[in-house]
Amino acid sequence: MIWIDGHLVSEGPGGVYGERMLHGCRVWDPKRSKLAALYHLGTELDLGPDHRVLYLGAANGTTVSHVADYVEVVYAVEVAPRPMQDLLVVAGSRKNIIPILADAGRPGIYRPLVEEVDFIYQDVASPRQVAILIGNSCFLKEGGTAVLMLKSRSIDVTRPPEDIFSEAQTEILDGGLRILDRVRLSPYYPDHLAFLCRRD
Amino acid sequence: MSGEPSYCTMESYWFGDVGCQACEPAPGDPGLLAERIELLAGRGDARIPDWRIAVRCGAVRSRTEYLERLRDAALILAERNLEQILQTEHSGLVQMVRMLDQLDEAINLLTERAVEWHRATRPGFSRKRTLPAGRSLIALMRQDADEDLAGLLEEIERMRDQRSLLMKQVSRRAEEVLPNCSALAGGLVAARLAAEAGGIRELAVMPAASLQVLGAKTALFSHLSTGTPPPKHGIVYQHGRVHGARRENRGRVARTLSAKLAIAVRIDYYRKCADREFLQNATEAVRRAGRRE
Repeated sequence: MIWIDGHLVSEGPGGVYGERMLHGCRVWDPKRSKLAALYHLGTELDLGPDHRVLYLGAANGTTVSHVADYVEVVYAVEVAPRPMQDLLVVAGSRKNIIPILADAGRPGIYRPLVEEVDFIYQDVASPRQVAILIGNSCFLKEGGTAVLMLKSRSIDVTRPPEDIFSEAQTEILDGGLRILDRVRLSPYYPDHLAFLCRRD
Repeated sequence: MSGEPSYCTMESYWFGDVGCQACEPAPGDPGLLAERIELLAGRGDARIPDWRIAVRCGAVRSRTEYLERLRDAALILAERNLEQILQTEHSGLVQMVRMLDQLDEAINLLTERAVEWHRATRPGFSRKRTLPAGRSLIALMRQDADEDLAGLLEEIERMRDQRSLLMKQVSRRAEEVLPNCSALAGGLVAARLAAEAGGIRELAVMPAASLQVLGAKTALFSHLSTGTPPPKHGIVYQHGRVHGARRENRGRVARTLSAKLAIAVRIDYYRKCADREFLQNATEAVRRAGRRE
């Protein structure tokens, strides 16, 4: 990962969403991207130029554009039409984003397009967050990494986050993934937990 | 790729059909590839593709070409799907209704302010004057407003004109998109229901009982949390047969109308055409509900 004076940046054409530029690099703001927050909080996770990424919940393509700066190709899945309009603009100006308008809960729809990937990033704010990750783990290479951005408030606002996190953990393990690390995303995102998982 | 031919089946990938003896690359045109991907997705038994098979198959020469071709096809596919969704959802109608509501809000706010300003310079002016029918407060003020205010009043007046124009447009659009609902409840009510539900699809999957109280959120939640009497109607109250009905009949009329509207919007969304026989029966049912003692 590239850091300049304590700022996480990525190298690529700027002006995607009005991001700040630093020495010709795009500043990747932890307040606008959970993945950037994860890097700011410290993680082993690395993105390399030969990585293939499946990105679930691509939204407007803000984080997607930064990930695409680092890796070979991003398969970006998003279900909502409105953000997809933005994502298509981002994908149009970059060669390595493959936009997919589909529900991440139904991976069969995009199975014909998506190859085996090194890295799955899941940021779909859905009560079925964990199940969606497990359903997509068929795309993950052996030894590949999955990051789940778990938003406890999306699963159940009334229950304490800790309970939800431990339930999610069991569900991940039952789904056949090994957990490498758990990182709370506070102070950037309260009640969020990043699970780093591996498929063996 | 190996093994005996008898166990070997044809595998279809987005880039071509791969058998154990031969392989047939798909036509390279991105539009056609997008169609092919759609088709494969619909079959549901697709295999996860591998670029090396595509190269071996002769569909592409390199990894770079594989990704280029896939990206171009995926872009087209996503654009097509998006267009289709935007067309079936008719989200334009919802936006029109919201614009109408916000125009109202803006016009009222600006009018209020204009009145205050006008009063500050014209001691004789009071809003407690009977307005000549059909003429607005704004027009009244314009007769003797001071110069600085006059231009703004003109703008507000123009906004009012735009507002009535938009209302007609909403109604007309609703009659196109929601022919059955509009025939039953009027274009404006139909459009407002769709906007309150969040879209036509959302309205089409809604139970009649929810539809009946759409737009009565406050009353509904106060009923649920503190047990006040439940609301009988929300937006459907604006329908002549509901608010024109006798008080004791109103609940029944609202209920009947909502039940018929729920069917109507399903016909609108899924069949997309007016059903004359259904409309006749439905109108009759609503009429009867209001007449019963």
